[in-house]
Amino acid sequence: MTRMFVDAWDPSYGASLEGGSGGDGPASPSSAQVDTDVEVPAARWAPIDGARKARRPDVVFLVDGVRRNDAGLWTAEDDGTTYAGLAASYAAGVVRCDLGRGVAELVGARIGRGLFTASPTAADLQAGSVRYEVHRVSGPGEASMLPAAVQPSLTALEIDISDMARDGGDDLLVVDGPLRSRRQLPRTIGYVKTQQKLYLSATLNMVVTSLQPGQRTPVFHTGTVWGGWSWYLRLPGGSGAPWSGIVRVECSPDLTPEQAIELAEISGATLPRFASSAYKDPRAPQNLVPIAGLERRLRGMLGDSRVLHRALTLATARSRT
Amino acid sequence: MDGHQKLWTTSANPLQVRLLSYPWCNMIGVSDEAEPTRGGKQSAKSPGDPVGRVLGTADATPLQFWTAVADGSYLQLDDVVVTTRQLPDREPVTIAGVVTQVRARHEGAQFDSDVFAIAEGTLPAVVQEAAEITTTRVDPELYVPPAPGAVVHRATGEARDAALHFDRMERRIPMGTGRDGVPVFLNADFLDGTRGAHVSISGISGVATKTSFATFLLYSVFRSGQLGADGANARALIFNVKGEDLLFLDHPNTKLDAGTMSAYKLLELPATPFSDVRVYAPPRAGDSSGAPDVSSRLTGVDAFYWTLEEFCDKKLLPYVFADADDERQQYTMVVHSVTAHLNRYAVPAEGGISIDGRRISSYGDLVDHVVDQLTDDDTRSTWAGSAVNMGTVNAFARRLIGSKRDLSRLIRGDLASRRPHQIKTAESAQVTVVDLHNLPDRAQRFVVGVTLKTEFEEKEKAGTGRPLLFVVLDELNKYAPREGTSPIKEVLLDIAERGRSLGVILIGAQQTASEVERRIVTNSAIRVVGRLDPAEAARPEYGFLPPAMRQRALLARPGTMFVNQPDIPVPLCVEFPFPAWATRKSESGPPPSSTMRSIVQGADPFAVVGGRGAADDDIPF
Repeated sequence: MTRMFVDAWDPSYGASLEGGSGGDGPASPSSAQVDTDVEVPAARWAPIDGARKARRPDVVFLVDGVRRNDAGLWTAEDDGTTYAGLAASYAAGVVRCDLGRGVAELVGARIGRGLFTASPTAADLQAGSVRYEVHRVSGPGEASMLPAAVQPSLTALEIDISDMARDGGDDLLVVDGPLRSRRQLPRTIGYVKTQQKLYLSATLNMVVTSLQPGQRTPVFHTGTVWGGWSWYLRLPGGSGAPWSGIVRVECSPDLTPEQAIELAEISGATLPRFASSAYKDPRAPQNLVPIAGLERRLRGMLGDSRVLHRALTLATARSRT
Repeated sequence: MDGHQKLWTTSANPLQVRLLSYPWCNMIGVSDEAEPTRGGKQSAKSPGDPVGRVLGTADATPLQFWTAVADGSYLQLDDVVVTTRQLPDREPVTIAGVVTQVRARHEGAQFDSDVFAIAEGTLPAVVQEAAEITTTRVDPELYVPPAPGAVVHRATGEARDAALHFDRMERRIPMGTGRDGVPVFLNADFLDGTRGAHVSISGISGVATKTSFATFLLYSVFRSGQLGADGANARALIFNVKGEDLLFLDHPNTKLDAGTMSAYKLLELPATPFSDVRVYAPPRAGDSSGAPDVSSRLTGVDAFYWTLEEFCDKKLLPYVFADADDERQQYTMVVHSVTAHLNRYAVPAEGGISIDGRRISSYGDLVDHVVDQLTDDDTRSTWAGSAVNMGTVNAFARRLIGSKRDLSRLIRGDLASRRPHQIKTAESAQVTVVDLHNLPDRAQRFVVGVTLKTEFEEKEKAGTGRPLLFVVLDELNKYAPREGTSPIKEVLLDIAERGRSLGVILIGAQQTASEVERRIVTNSAIRVVGRLDPAEAARPEYGFLPPAMRQRALLARPGTMFVNQPDIPVPLCVEFPFPAWATRKSESGPPPSSTMRSIVQGADPFAVVGGRGAADDDIPF
C-alpha cells in the first residue's frame, strides 16, 4: 500500500518539490551533465553521516532578500501608447549568527525601491517621503514580465550587502537560493529549498530519499551555466515523506573538489541546527530559522504597503494635473 | 520663550539623536545636580540625557504615553522624564512625567519558544524596552500628545523639580529620596493647613514602617526649617501603641552608619535624635506611688493619670464606653445623665471626691457607688432620670463594672492632685510621647479620646491655628472605625474636619484604610501607602495608586512608601532614611542629659537657677 505524507509546506508556497506533474518528486529531469564520481564513485553512493570532526564555524552569515509589489501602474505616453509599470520595494539583509556567543543580529540591511517599466519617458517617482527610482526594462515590458525584472536589482543588493557584512576569518556565508552570480563570494554556499530539477539518475535519487536527518549525499558536479559543486542534505523536522526536508546545497565551481567536500562537511554540521519547525514556519524545515527571522525584519523595513500604495496613488494623481 | 527654544533645539539636534544608539552616550553628561532653586522657572531648565523616543505603535496621549528606550539606556519605574512638542505659531509644550511601567520584549519573535533560538544565536531579534510615562506636568497647559519619535530626556536638576512640581512649592519638606536617589519633597502647604492637612498612612503592620515614616516626617518638619517659626514651635503628640519603640526618640541610634548619615545630609537634615521629647506612661498597675509603667526606658518618663475630680469635672465618663454615642444603644442615655450628675454633685476632697456625703478615693469605689445608687429604687431617678427601666440600668452597670479593672490605674483618687500628671502638649516638650502599649484596649481608647479632646478644646479656646500640633495615632481603624459612632470617633472626626483651621494635624496610620471612617480618610490631603495586603490593595480607597504602583505596593520593602499629595498627579515612591534615633533599647545610645530631671517628676530644683539645658516651656516652679 502506498504510504501518504502531508507536505509540511503551506500550500500557498507551493511544494518543497516543484514539478510539472504533482508533488511526488522533482519531475523534470535536468539535461545538465552531471558528474557523480567526485567524492565517491557513483556505484558506491550512500548517505554520508554528518562528520563529527567537521569544523563548525562559530559565525554564520545568512543573506536573504524580500520583495513586495507596492502597486501596478500604467503610463500614458504622449504618442498614445501605454506601458505597464511596477512599483516594488525590495530589501536585502545579512544576519550574523554568532553561535559561540549566542547572538543573532542583523548586521546589514538595505532597502531599494524601484519603478520597473519599459516606458522610455518614465522618471523617478516621489511618493510621499520615499522615492521610486526608475529601472528601464528592455523589450515590450508586459505586466506579467515585470515582477521578474525586480530580481536582478534584489540580487545586486544582496551581493552588495554580503560583501559588506563579512569580517573575514572562519565564517560561512549562506545564500538563500542558488548561487548564480554570487559565486565569487568566498566561503559561500547556496541553499536551494525547492527542488525543481532532477540532477541525479533514478538509482542515485534512491540515495537522496533514503537520507536520514543530518545526512548528506556525496558531492556531485553539474555542468550547466550556473552549475557547480552540489550535494543534497536532509534537515531534521520533516514529515518523513521521501523529499521532505531535502535541500540542495551548492558552492562555486571555481573551488577544488577537496574544498567543495570540506564545505559539504561544514554545511552538514551547520545547517541542521537552523532548521525550523513546522508549526512556526509554513515552509519548515527548509526555511531556516535565521532566514525566517531576517525576512520578517526586512518585511517590516519595507514599510506599510497600504501607506505606500496610497502615497503612490496620490503622487501619480498629482503628476497628472 | 528663549529657554524653550533652546530646549527644543537641543532635542532636535540630529547628532545627539544619533548618539542615542551608542552605549557610551550614557556615560556623558551625568551632570551634578545644580543647587535646586526654589520657585525656579521651568523655562530656565535644560533637559538631561536622551534616553529614548516616544513610540508610535501605541497611542500617545497628553496624559500617558509610551517611550521606546534607546539601546544602551534604561528607564526604571519612577524615573522622571521630559519631552517637548513643537507647535505651529506657539511656544513648544514641555511634557514631563514619571515612569509608571517598563517592559522589555523580543521584537521579531513570534512564539514563546523563539527565545531559545534567539539565545542560541540562530534567530535574529531585538530586545526592545519601552516605558509607560504618566504625565505629571504640561507647560504651558496645552494638552497635546507628544509626537511619536520625539526624543525623551531623563529629567535632572531643575527639569526634574519642575516635573514633580517641586519648583512651585514655596516650602518643601524633604520626605526621603526617590528611586533615582535624589530628594523628594512634600508641599508644606498641604501639611500645615494652608491648603490642606492631615496624613493617612496605610500598610501591613511590621513591614510597612508606618510609624517610622510618621516620625521621620515629623522630624523633617521640625528640622528642615522649611516651616520657619511654625516648624520650630510646632508640637507633636505621639501615641505609642506597640512595643516601646517610640520611647527612645531622644536617644541617638548607635547603628547609624555612614550611608545613613549621607542620606540625611542629602536631605539637608541633621542626623540626630529628636531634641526635646517628653514621655508619658500610665502608672504601674497596683502601685500606689504612681510610678510609670515602662520596662526599657528608665529615665525621663512621667506618669500620667486623671484624678477622680477631673474625671467628674471634665465629664470623662462617656470615654469609658466605646459606643456611648451610638443611638441604637439605650444605655447611652444613662451614661449622659450619670456624667451630668457627677459633674454637678461631685466635690473635690483631698485627691478623691466626695459625693452624696461619701468620700470616694478610687475609680473602683466610684463605680461601686454609682452602681449602688442606680440599683437602689430610691436614688435611681436622681441619677438616671425617671424614664429608665431596669434593663437599661443593668446594661450600663455591667459595662461600668467591666471597666474597673482596665481604668482603675488611670483614674486615681489616691495621688496628689498637684503633682503634674496631665498630658498637655502646650506645657510639655516639643514631642510628647504617650505610651499606651501596656494598656488594655478600653484604657487605650480612654486615654486617646480624653487626651485628644482636651488638646482640641485647648486649641478651640486659644482660637488660633498656631502653634501647630501634630497628632500621630496608629491603628486609627480602632479609634475611628467605619461603622458605628463613639465619643473618640467624634473627636477624631472633629480634628479631621476642623483641625486644619485650628492647627491640629492628624497623622493617622492604619493597616487598612478601608476600615477607617471615610470622612477621615477623605480629609487627609496626603496619603501614604507602604506594603499592602493584596486584598486590601484592590479596594477603592487606594484608587489614587496607578495599577502598576498598586502591584508594587504588595512588595514594597521596609523604608519604601508611596506618597500621594494633591498637587502631583502621580504618587511618588519615597525611600526614607533609617531613623537617626533609637527605635529600641538595644540600639539606643546614651540618654540626653535633660531626661535626668524627670527622675524627680519634672519638679527640677535646679530649674530655678537655669540648670536645665534643653528648651522647655515649663514654668520653673
